[in-house]
Amino acid sequence: MTTGALQVLGLCALNVLVAGLLSPLFEGMLRKLRAIVHSRMGPPLTQPYLDLLKLLGKEDLRTTGGVLSALGPAMTLGSVLVLAMLVPMGAPPPLGFAGDVIVLVYVAGMGAVFLMLTAFASGSPYAFVGGSREMMLLLAVEPAMAIALVVGAVKAGTLATGAIAAWQAANGPSLSTILAGLALFLALQAQAGKLPFDIAEADQEVMGGPLVELSGPRLALVRWALWARQLVVACLLVEVFAPWPRLGLLPLDLALTLVKALVVLVLVAVIDVVNPRLRVDQALRYYLRVGFSALAALAFAVIGM
Amino acid sequence: MGPRKRPSRGPGRSPGKIMDQPDAAAARLTDLLRERLGALLLVAERPQPDTLRCEVAPAGVRAAAGALAWDAGARFLITVGLDVRALGRGFAIAHLFSLDAAHLFVSLEIPVDAADARIDAITPLIPAADWAEREFRDAIGVEPDGHPDPRRLMLPDDWPDGIYPLRRDFRYNARPPAAGGRPVLADAPPGASVLPMGPFFPTLEEPSYWRLFVEGERIVGCDYRGFYNHRAIEKLGETVLGYDKLPFVAERICGICGFIHSTCACQAIEKAAGIDVPARARYIRTIMLELERVHSHLLWLGIAAHIIGFETLLMQSWRIREPIMWLSEAISGNRKTYGMNCVGGLRRDISPETAGKIRETLDPVEREMRAVRKAVVGDTTLLARTKGVGVLTKEWAERIAVVGPPARASGVAIDARLDHPYAAYPEIPPRLCVQQDGDVWARVVVRLDELEDSIRLIRGALDGMPDGPIRAEITEPIPAGRLGISVVEAPRGEAVHFVLTGDDNRAYRWRVRAPTYPNLQAVPSMIAGETIADVPITVGSLDPCFSCTERLEAVDVRSAAMRVYSRDELLALSRRRGSQGGER
Repeated sequence: MTTGALQVLGLCALNVLVAGLLSPLFEGMLRKLRAIVHSRMGPPLTQPYLDLLKLLGKEDLRTTGGVLSALGPAMTLGSVLVLAMLVPMGAPPPLGFAGDVIVLVYVAGMGAVFLMLTAFASGSPYAFVGGSREMMLLLAVEPAMAIALVVGAVKAGTLATGAIAAWQAANGPSLSTILAGLALFLALQAQAGKLPFDIAEADQEVMGGPLVELSGPRLALVRWALWARQLVVACLLVEVFAPWPRLGLLPLDLALTLVKALVVLVLVAVIDVVNPRLRVDQALRYYLRVGFSALAALAFAVIGM
Repeated sequence: MGPRKRPSRGPGRSPGKIMDQPDAAAARLTDLLRERLGALLLVAERPQPDTLRCEVAPAGVRAAAGALAWDAGARFLITVGLDVRALGRGFAIAHLFSLDAAHLFVSLEIPVDAADARIDAITPLIPAADWAEREFRDAIGVEPDGHPDPRRLMLPDDWPDGIYPLRRDFRYNARPPAAGGRPVLADAPPGASVLPMGPFFPTLEEPSYWRLFVEGERIVGCDYRGFYNHRAIEKLGETVLGYDKLPFVAERICGICGFIHSTCACQAIEKAAGIDVPARARYIRTIMLELERVHSHLLWLGIAAHIIGFETLLMQSWRIREPIMWLSEAISGNRKTYGMNCVGGLRRDISPETAGKIRETLDPVEREMRAVRKAVVGDTTLLARTKGVGVLTKEWAERIAVVGPPARASGVAIDARLDHPYAAYPEIPPRLCVQQDGDVWARVVVRLDELEDSIRLIRGALDGMPDGPIRAEITEPIPAGRLGISVVEAPRGEAVHFVLTGDDNRAYRWRVRAPTYPNLQAVPSMIAGETIADVPITVGSLDPCFSCTERLEAVDVRSAAMRVYSRDELLALSRRRGSQGGER
């Protein structure tokens, strides 16, 4: 019992550390990639860490009082770290239980909700527009993501994320899971706030949207949360829809998962650099189509393909 | 100039419009005005072959402007307010028009009584005159009667009433005390909220204050307050600078199309003084003007891409642009603001080695530009963001007298290089790049077409460049009281310079109209019904240049009482402003 509890705690710590400490490195690699496509030198790989350190050391200037705007950024990061504990990373999810897929979908949306609340609490019209865009995107992306995960659940016959991943590892790909994985990959583009879907932040239109009134440590927390979220969702994607090969050794499996997540994020970044930003209505129409493709995958899963 | 096809100018123009050469056009126009105005037409004369100057009594201003714009199909350029009290008259207002097909400028000059400084506004007839009439109200103090929006345009809000900076008795360095006025802002329609864009906004690099009236993401109206960039350039040109210095200050009107403004100012003075510029200087001016178009369009392409978040295109188009900047440095010693123009010609020649360097630089630029064009044309996301966005109909483009690529993208076939040929354009005419859709994409295509054509023109000018002097010998002083109107097709559209020569080797009145001036006035009709997301790219697609537009008058007003805010006061203030949604 105690060893079991310790193991869970250890895995929780591992996932949180991976999400928290490695995500800036991934962001650094993606920045380098962008720079290469731009014909630029680009910042050093460690730049995101330096950004965080600098921002965390700054004065916490607030444009408005209120608990929500003070705590919103911390809660955004917190919700992403909780999500990390629900996602398998080289091992079954530490906080996993029967039916945790449903919780996972909710927790995945929480980060966006807290960011939105922070935005609305700031009182800035730009944050308000950005927040409402974030909400619209969330409402469009979440169903696609949820249906994709349900496809896995239907195939594996379980609602536990770890069990779905294990079933996938044992049984290999099928038409429905490939389609569902694709839908989740497309949802990741918006989840990671990458072009053509960085609509909520859109610097050139709403000056950073939800982030416009954030500065110093609170900006650092939100940035950190966004970087961690892209890594965690990428891990979820590769663990649930591409878990092969399973080596059975935690460090090796974790390393493999991270490498695969990097490949996924590189693809996301490549899409990011070759696209301009869509309008929010165009993005909604796009994710409506992604949602329908996920539904098609679900239909295939139900008939056993 | 060879014949070229000119599409019809749209509805509302009479079929009997004047479509021939300046002499016949001027004669017919004089007949038309005489028929409409009778004795109210005081003077009709031709100071230059391409200029018709008509003096009209105040009672005839609307009839004359209407006859010009609606019956003769003339395009409104700008209005010049003149303080001619020193010459024994009162004030004068000169509305400038262009008969593009006939290559003729028309100056409609109306004397205004100094004791009762009012004139009938022509804005109700010609909406394009809106800002121009507000501007002479601010600067000269002549009231345009019946103007639909008689708010301040260019003077700061705390400028005292009754002080008019472009009157001759106002010293160029005077600093009147601040009067403590507030901006007069238009009210939002009921149910709409206000989203401020500016006075400082990331994608508009210069101060301009748009207040968007929005319902959700949809724009239902807007209000503009600009002119934060006044630098007193016109006033300096009339009081401090002689003809020898004026072109250099003119070049500093704009950081991108500086050579265009210096060329335009020189041409206006040369025309007024009757100076013939040597052929080699005309060819070199053409080369520099087209080089400026190439780097400006590449700059614009990058900025437009940046506005819709396409950073890769920004980086690549600016990388392609860079060799042009190096080339400018090799030619003139400067990347920008070349300081090459002077009245009568140029200060710097292009050597055969430099000419070779220009050819060498153009080849890779052209190749890479074509690659970019190919990538841009095939990008579906880019098309989704630009097709059908920010549409300016041909009717509106003509009504607001929009110029340059935005006009050509809306099917209005005007180009100053063809309509009023200058420099070497009579010998190497440019291609008229016209699109019909009037959306942001059409403006992209027009500029991409012009990029290729500019490179062709530069090569043509290098091939045809004759030997000889680069500067005319000027032996006589330039006589006073001469009029010179000159236009140059800047990358953003047509720039207009008006010069009335004065005594002591300087201009009596120098008026500059940058292309952004008319183009910005078309924005309200372009963004109505669009979403917030489309506003930056719509405004950006005009390639706006606020500092050129607002060159006019700046006298630094420091408020008498300075107040130092403590940190907490500032925080409290910004919180209050923030919670009011940026409203004042």
